[in-house]
Amino acid sequence: MIIKIIGSILVFSASSFLGYVLSKDCTRRPFELRMLQSQLQIFENEIAFLSNLLADAFKKVYRSSNCSVSVFFIETEQKLIQNIGLNASEAWESAVRENLKKTSLNKEDEEILVSFGKLLGNSDVEGQIKNIRLTLSQLKLQEQKAEEFKKKNEKMFKTLGVLGGLAIVIILM
Amino acid sequence: MTTKDKTDIIDIGLRNLESDIIRFISQEIREIILSIRADRLRFIEEIRLRADKPLMLHNYLDDWFIDKRGNLTKEIEDLYFVKQDEINKTLELMSGNSIYAYQEEIKSGYLTLKGGHRVGVTGKAVLDGEYIKNIKDISGLNIRISREICGCANNLMTYILKNREEVFNTLIISPPQCGKTTMLRDIARSVSDGIEEFSFKGIKVGIVDERSEIAACHKGVAQNKVGVRTDVLDGCPKALGMVIMLRSMSPKVIVTDEIGNQGDKDAVMRVINAGIKIISTAHGYNISELKSRQEVLSLINEKVFERYIVLSNHDGPGTLEEVVDGTTMRVIFKRQ
Repeated sequence: MIIKIIGSILVFSASSFLGYVLSKDCTRRPFELRMLQSQLQIFENEIAFLSNLLADAFKKVYRSSNCSVSVFFIETEQKLIQNIGLNASEAWESAVRENLKKTSLNKEDEEILVSFGKLLGNSDVEGQIKNIRLTLSQLKLQEQKAEEFKKKNEKMFKTLGVLGGLAIVIILM
Repeated sequence: MTTKDKTDIIDIGLRNLESDIIRFISQEIREIILSIRADRLRFIEEIRLRADKPLMLHNYLDDWFIDKRGNLTKEIEDLYFVKQDEINKTLELMSGNSIYAYQEEIKSGYLTLKGGHRVGVTGKAVLDGEYIKNIKDISGLNIRISREICGCANNLMTYILKNREEVFNTLIISPPQCGKTTMLRDIARSVSDGIEEFSFKGIKVGIVDERSEIAACHKGVAQNKVGVRTDVLDGCPKALGMVIMLRSMSPKVIVTDEIGNQGDKDAVMRVINAGIKIISTAHGYNISELKSRQEVLSLINEKVFERYIVLSNHDGPGTLEEVVDGTTMRVIFKRQ
């Protein structure tokens, strides 16, 4: 009997936890997308107005805000400094791909970021700004989608976790 | 300048050669240059990368091909041919992956590395009306090694100083690669720091450094020794920069490189009329050759400059050829 009770508690808490994590992810993603947009704005200022080098600009972006997505910027900067043979687009791509797991961003977001990297650094200021603007508008769309998804699913995941856990417990009892 | 001094001084430059320049050259060429014997690199002045042409190096003696093992040679065998890809990669590395930050410079056909080394760029120009918008398909890079030689202008100073607190308006005339900019930098340093020998106390100097060659600013801070009383306006067009200096920094002397473009004369006249001295340089082999250039000729006719100093390459870069008094056109010094 005791084993049964312990088992059900375990099942229940695991399932609730899962629901909680999923709903947390739902809220984190729009937040991260917003942060990315504001960081790209800072980056735009860095290169359009101050005409800073890529590595310096990225470092400043990283310093200006500290959240899970700033890791892309600082990682790229590190890669550029450490490995002189790497060009900007390669460094950015690998930084995004390696660190995506640390964030709540999904596959689609990843592709947008990687394609942003393709033009990084290798055109004039206007070209850079166009590239940043394009990425910003794409991220904005992603944010809207993520926001809707969050509205629909945030509560659902939580309740589903709790209720689902309960249901399993009841059935197994 | 004695030979011993020269070796000492240039060795200091060699240590920076790797960190300032060679690390930005694409992998394969970098390795070849690093395999050149150190003593051969000592008096290096230029490294030239041309697409599908052999890698070349100039020192003060002559120009040399570099073969695949890093030997300097005159033979046309076993040479290392530069590929266009390598030139592109080099440019990418030199700009810190940030072509946009160097766009204005590339448009004018060069970019300046940390340390003040100028890299000339050729390729196909992309036009926007009459103006160059960009240079694409880069086919040639000329890396010019800039050297800071403190004290190289010491024997010039007697001709430049007017009294304890003033200098003459001076124009340094020299062909390329004869140490014009190096001289100018050292003059700026001496004038700004003061010279005990002549009991000349330092005065305020404003450097307008259009191509970042004199002070070699990195992130706005001068990397070369340009003196304690010196303000540097980096990357600013000369004519504009001189006026800004004049208005805001109250210098006693304005130092700027390579005058002679349209609009320079007006700016120079404004500086002179404000009672500020000017020290500058011009491309040329002698004074009469300068007179063929309209903008400079009118400056000469107005007797703006009180001293003309002509340099040559005769006994190595920076050989003092002659010194002429600009007001009377009397020759003060002539190399024997």
